[in-house]
Amino acid sequence: MTDMTNLTDMTTSLQTFSLLAPEIALVLAAIVAFLAGAFAGLRSGWLVALVGIAAAMALAGGQPAADAAAVAAGPVLIDAFSAYIRWMVLVLGALLALVQAGDIFSAAVSRGNSAWRGGTCEEAGTFLLLLAGLSLVGIADDLVLLFAGLELVSIPTYILLALKRTDAHGQEASLKYFFLSLVASSLFLYALTCLYGIGGSTSLATIGARLRSTDDTLVGISTVLLPVALGMAMAGAAFRLAAVPMHFYAPDVYEGTSPGNAALLSTLPKVAGIVVLLRLLGLAVTGPTQAAAVGSGAVAYVTLFWQLAAVLAAITMTVGNVMALLQQNLRRLLACSSIAHAGYLLLGVAAAAAFAAAATDPVGGQGAITVADKAWTGGLGGTTATLFYLATYALATIGVFAAITYLGHRWPEWSSGSGPRPPREEITTVDDLNGLSGTNPVAAFAITVFLLSLAGIPPLPGFWGKLSLATAALEIDWNSPITFGSRRAAFVALAVILVLNAAIAAAYYLRIIAAMYFRSTKRGVQADGGLAAGLAMLACLALVFMATAQPHGLFNAAVQAGTAVRATASTTAQPAVTDNQSQHLLAQPQ
Amino acid sequence: MQSLSPSTLLVLVPLLPLVGAILTLLLGRLLGSRAHLPAIVGIAAAAGAALTLLVSTAGLVGSPHGGHAEPVRPVEMISTLWQWATVADAYTPAAGSPAAIPGTVIGGPTAGGTEARAFSIPVTLRLDPLTATMLTIITFVGLLVAIYSVGYMHDDPGYPRFFALVSMFVFSMALLVAASNFLIVYVFWEAVGACSYLLIGFWFRKPEAARAAKKAFLVNRIGDFGLAIATFLLWMTYGTLDFHDTLSADGTILPGILGQTRLADAAGIVGGTVGTAICLLLLLAACGKSAQLPLHVWLPDAMEGPTPASALIHAATMVTAGIYLIARSAPLFVACPEALTAVSIVGATTALVAALIATVQNDLKRVLAYSTISQLGYMFASLGTGTMLGFTAAIFHLVTHAFFKALLFLGAGSVMHSMGGVIDMRRFGGLRRIMPITAATFLVGSLALAGVAPFAGFFSKDEILATLHSKGWPSAHAEHHDAAPAAAGHASLEGHGQTVASLASSMAANSQTGRPTARPAALQSAGVTADGGGTLDRPGTWQILFWMALVTAGLTAFYTFRAVFMTFTGPTRVPDEAGHHAHESPPMMTLPLVILAVPSALIGWWLFSTNWLAHFLSATPSFTAPSVAKTAVPHVFHMDLAIQGSLAAAIGIVIAAIGHLGRRSDAPQMERFLGPLQTIFANKFYFDQIYAALVVRPLEALAMLAALIDRYLIDGTVNLVARIPVFFGGWARQLQSGLLQRYALAGVLGTLLIVLALASRLR
Repeated sequence: MTDMTNLTDMTTSLQTFSLLAPEIALVLAAIVAFLAGAFAGLRSGWLVALVGIAAAMALAGGQPAADAAAVAAGPVLIDAFSAYIRWMVLVLGALLALVQAGDIFSAAVSRGNSAWRGGTCEEAGTFLLLLAGLSLVGIADDLVLLFAGLELVSIPTYILLALKRTDAHGQEASLKYFFLSLVASSLFLYALTCLYGIGGSTSLATIGARLRSTDDTLVGISTVLLPVALGMAMAGAAFRLAAVPMHFYAPDVYEGTSPGNAALLSTLPKVAGIVVLLRLLGLAVTGPTQAAAVGSGAVAYVTLFWQLAAVLAAITMTVGNVMALLQQNLRRLLACSSIAHAGYLLLGVAAAAAFAAAATDPVGGQGAITVADKAWTGGLGGTTATLFYLATYALATIGVFAAITYLGHRWPEWSSGSGPRPPREEITTVDDLNGLSGTNPVAAFAITVFLLSLAGIPPLPGFWGKLSLATAALEIDWNSPITFGSRRAAFVALAVILVLNAAIAAAYYLRIIAAMYFRSTKRGVQADGGLAAGLAMLACLALVFMATAQPHGLFNAAVQAGTAVRATASTTAQPAVTDNQSQHLLAQPQ
Repeated sequence: MQSLSPSTLLVLVPLLPLVGAILTLLLGRLLGSRAHLPAIVGIAAAAGAALTLLVSTAGLVGSPHGGHAEPVRPVEMISTLWQWATVADAYTPAAGSPAAIPGTVIGGPTAGGTEARAFSIPVTLRLDPLTATMLTIITFVGLLVAIYSVGYMHDDPGYPRFFALVSMFVFSMALLVAASNFLIVYVFWEAVGACSYLLIGFWFRKPEAARAAKKAFLVNRIGDFGLAIATFLLWMTYGTLDFHDTLSADGTILPGILGQTRLADAAGIVGGTVGTAICLLLLLAACGKSAQLPLHVWLPDAMEGPTPASALIHAATMVTAGIYLIARSAPLFVACPEALTAVSIVGATTALVAALIATVQNDLKRVLAYSTISQLGYMFASLGTGTMLGFTAAIFHLVTHAFFKALLFLGAGSVMHSMGGVIDMRRFGGLRRIMPITAATFLVGSLALAGVAPFAGFFSKDEILATLHSKGWPSAHAEHHDAAPAAAGHASLEGHGQTVASLASSMAANSQTGRPTARPAALQSAGVTADGGGTLDRPGTWQILFWMALVTAGLTAFYTFRAVFMTFTGPTRVPDEAGHHAHESPPMMTLPLVILAVPSALIGWWLFSTNWLAHFLSATPSFTAPSVAKTAVPHVFHMDLAIQGSLAAAIGIVIAAIGHLGRRSDAPQMERFLGPLQTIFANKFYFDQIYAALVVRPLEALAMLAALIDRYLIDGTVNLVARIPVFFGGWARQLQSGLLQRYALAGVLGTLLIVLALASRLR
């Protein structure tokens, strides 16, 4: 490193703090929640969380606009992609905070005291730290910050799992999640060390530049380290996505924890997993101007990337859906459904990688998609589809869990005059929802809308998401014939698998809807989980309807973000990495 | 109202009833017996807005001053609310096709008109004389029907539902006539159909009502199919579905199908095969909605619905949607003389057939239902003449008919209400003593329907007879037509039985390319007459149609007064169902009757003597097309036709009086008099039986076959396939052992597998 770059680092450190202002606000709010809960006897911890998220939103609004050029400062990179992730985190965070605030139900069961319980401040503070960590993952332009961010997601999750539910099921769930998450993290850390070996730096930009280098020595090192780096990174991301082969924990943990925690687990880690995968994919992808100068290391990287993602996508969505078919426990069923959705998201990642691979094809070669005419137009690329789908999935899933959090059994024969109040129960099985359309039509309607969106029924946003995924898959090598073993054939097959899986998934989603509308129940199903979760449900419903009426807004944001993640590496790469310099840089770590 | 702009008012007319409907749905249970309030307030406010719009539009048109001489400027206001759907570059017009009328660039060169254009469906409301007239009728009759229903429906368990549906109907119908795009028209065409279905089947626990609702819906689907195909063809032909011209950002004008740019261009409207196909499909759609032969079978059965709904939907407004559609598409029809003649033939035949059936019906509401079909047939016959007088007379009759038929239906409802639900005229009589207000107002409505001067129906019917007569005997009308400035060519060409209108704009479509070529008028005219056997558009045809209409007028008077005499005169008889307290209906019901009686009596005279409506309507853009405007004739009172029409009515009334005045039942005399014809009429010309044999039974057999295949072959296969994922699901569940160590082991092994696979692929 020269003096010049050091100077630059120092001047940008202030800018780094300003770019991180929303995350800093979240952390400050967490500190307020912790301290006030411990020393001032504050009980409304979730209110602090909401205020903190609102402050972070206000600060994020003051950041450079999403369509502006990327701003890099130190280990931090603000571009349309990270802005999209940050906004998604903040919006989902606000919704989840409401759900969590209403999630007093299972705690009441396990502690035998429904009137009051403490601990909301710890929960709220931990939750805020989680959000800050997730937002950092989106911003990180450096392996260390990336990993730190991921751990800042994981550790609060363990705490939340343990805090919320203290009975045996809850303990089992939190321990399972804890140990398996450690395994995944260590695998991912191994991948990061391999990437450092390739790049000789922790900066993603530098690693990317080395990966794309045409230099034979660099290509050789890349080729040796690639399988380990990619495989381990995929394993780490797969745990967060709940994708094969790290998906086993999901049904057990979801079943064992509270619905509010299940809502959190099914959305925020998935965001982290997708961000990691797309950022790592971005390493090998160049901007429009440099497409030709890509070395064989990067070509191998994107090729392996799409092949791996495609295989895992096909297995994951199928496994998730067929497992869901037989579930009676509602949270287990939704866990399986979230595995299936991880498969859909991986399909988008695979399409993005294949798109990058097609862009590296020699012009006039098999793919014949040249960078100039197709690749960078910001159309329906895999990244765009993935990011769009992620948002629609998260909204609908949080909505379902919010509704389940909101609902609870109350025994019909009990009234305030007839003795002590019996313990309340959560909704656990599908049968618990029987006849909901009669007892709580608003919740039944909301759940129906969310499930139909998850199933991909037009015109709900889930349909647009699946449509864009299928379109992204079919766009790969659009001009070339479908021959056996070709990239195009693989993606046509993936699109077919996607559609078949959507059909299977409809079966169990519709089973829930049928239970709500066509069966009757002797138990009264009533809203008993707290007003906040009901509010979250209605907010999700409103957002889903907004995305139904006007999907363009979300979609355009996803297009900008998707375009940014592909261009990231090129704009922030050290612009003057010539062959000489890269050899020089290579010499240092060895 | 001063502060509200016309475009705001135009939005409010449909919006307020919609809000009323939603409020009724949401708060129905809460409001209980006051559930009518949101609907009535909403429709009343909409009626106020519609009236304001009518007045302001009339102000733009100007008043008629004795004549017709100067051409009327088209008056329209277009208000685009938002773009509903846009698909870029969806249509590339071929050069020289009607879709490629060169757009006019303001301050620039003329565009070629062949650039690819977007498929865009704007949600656009329009205001012009035709729309303003329709909106006023819809909201005004809707308001009176809603008020009446407060009394009529008062103890019904579905009270809030009824008002929500009526409100929803007013909303849909208002948008149907205010939309400025064929697709939006289609949407609300379906919406009014849905409201009609729900109201016919309002008492859905009654099997007849459920069956009637289903029948109405299915028969209407045939017409809707026509409208859908017509819409597709219009898009293929014109590359747009808008009625109005659109000014795009670059200053070019995209001419709408019925926009002023296209109407001013003689080659703008497609004739020939394609044009005729479009017009016939539109006619099919109109036949379905307006219950014309052969799709009329649903309307009599629709009387199973609540009587106020019948009055509003199945007499005054929804069934006139077909008339509206054809009148709106007047330039398209005028370009296709064959299709126009078909409209008249369908109309006149329907008028006659329905009137014949009505003469032997014993159910008061069914008499009125067939009468509605018959009167709608009159309007179709008038539209089919393709002249300015024909179009305005049809709308004139639509207006007067809306008032007096709504009055008659509400009167019948009042009778039914009082008679404990009995509507068979043989079972009661002499009711004028029990319910004097109903009797008096019913008599006013009957006089209007029968066409007795000076009641409303007389004038509108006279104009329809006049326009048919002028086509059948053109020379007889030539003298007063000479007064018109544009009439020189008109009179001389009428000898060919071809209107100037169709000559000026009709084109023969080249069968190969679909490119229209405007032929010289004389050639075209010769071509049409040379086709000879094929063409129906000649005086002989119109003479027959005129006589059919005149006979229908006599029959109308007969069956109307037969019903009046059977119901209100003779010895007082009351069926057992009414109990001992048969009485006049409450003021909430009689008030609308009295209010409706006033226009039923007077509006014909007023509108005819001032010529206000005809002048007003002539400013509708569709009627200002040169092809239509050229056919305008001076406003005259045809004394000879008036005498003929009155004579027919008088004969009908006299026969009815001979047969039924003061008697108990008419059946024996009618059978003796009509012989076998009575059986045919009473069985409604066997339409239902013919349809059952030709359509329903074969379809049922096919459905049975399909059901068998579905149950055993398809379901069997599907069930087999569905077992596969379930089987794998059970297998996958085995893996979910719940043991942490196994999960970790599986995860790590899986990762190793991945790494190995990747490494092997790189080698």
